[in-house]
Amino acid sequence: MQQGGAVDTEVTWEDQQNINKFGRLNNRFHELEDEIKGRKEMTENLEDASNELILADEEIVRFQLGEVFSHMPKEEVENRLESMKEETTKELEKLEEEKESILAQMADLKKILYGKFNDSINLEED
Amino acid sequence: MATSGSERRGIPAAAFVEDVQTFLTTTGSDATSALNTLQERRQQYKLVEMKLLAQQRDLQAKIPDIKKCLETVEALLAKQGTGEATIVDFEVAEGIYSQARIEATNSVCLWLGANVMLEYSCDEALDLLKKNLDNANAGLGAIVEDLQFLRDQVTITEVTIARVYNWDVHQRRKLRQAEKDV
Repeated sequence: MQQGGAVDTEVTWEDQQNINKFGRLNNRFHELEDEIKGRKEMTENLEDASNELILADEEIVRFQLGEVFSHMPKEEVENRLESMKEETTKELEKLEEEKESILAQMADLKKILYGKFNDSINLEED
Repeated sequence: MATSGSERRGIPAAAFVEDVQTFLTTTGSDATSALNTLQERRQQYKLVEMKLLAQQRDLQAKIPDIKKCLETVEALLAKQGTGEATIVDFEVAEGIYSQARIEATNSVCLWLGANVMLEYSCDEALDLLKKNLDNANAGLGAIVEDLQFLRDQVTITEVTIARVYNWDVHQRRKLRQAEKDV
């Protein structure tokens, strides 16, 4: 966010607040991207684990609990994986929704700020 | 000059400059010294930001740890009534595992830090861990809010720097133009 050019456009407190808001949204946007990436990896890992479990012959498998691997019946592990998958998917959906809403808000602010400052303001990432 | 609330947890708010000319006259400084002061301010904000980010990272690492503990205690609790033992593989030393048999138990020991470990009933341990998790989440929330406030102040300062700079360029240009016209 820099301003260049010598065109004299007055910056009001309202403009400043819009710029602040844009900055906040942009920050959150990047945080969300990271979080979404993490959740997606998690979903994939859980999916892989489920697939492995289908192929496994043993009735008792080891499931990581905290720092140790607990011996558990295959069925229970299947259930646990299912509920973990469900939870991750739900979280992922929520994060994606938030991302959409942030992108929309950023687009609105861009319209307002570019409308007023034209080239004197830069709201794009490098 | 409008401000955005005077301070938050010791972080002073950045003043918003309505009009650069008036700002320079009231502070009795020229553009260069004003820019220096603003840059200094910006550096200070950045320093606080780094501290807060470190605190945030610490908490973000702590929360999954607490969740892991909670999961474990919950697993022990689930076995409590059944009289069934839990069999686990655990790491004895790096890369070396052995098997342990944990008889259905009513109590676990929680490491409290400072070389202290205390035995709790599973229910009590669960409560304590939940409380720790709540505290960590609340702490994280507060830090996130502090960071947002701080970043607003950084943005205000940066915008002010750009405006003072532009104003200065503009003034110089006008001056040059005036000289040419004479």
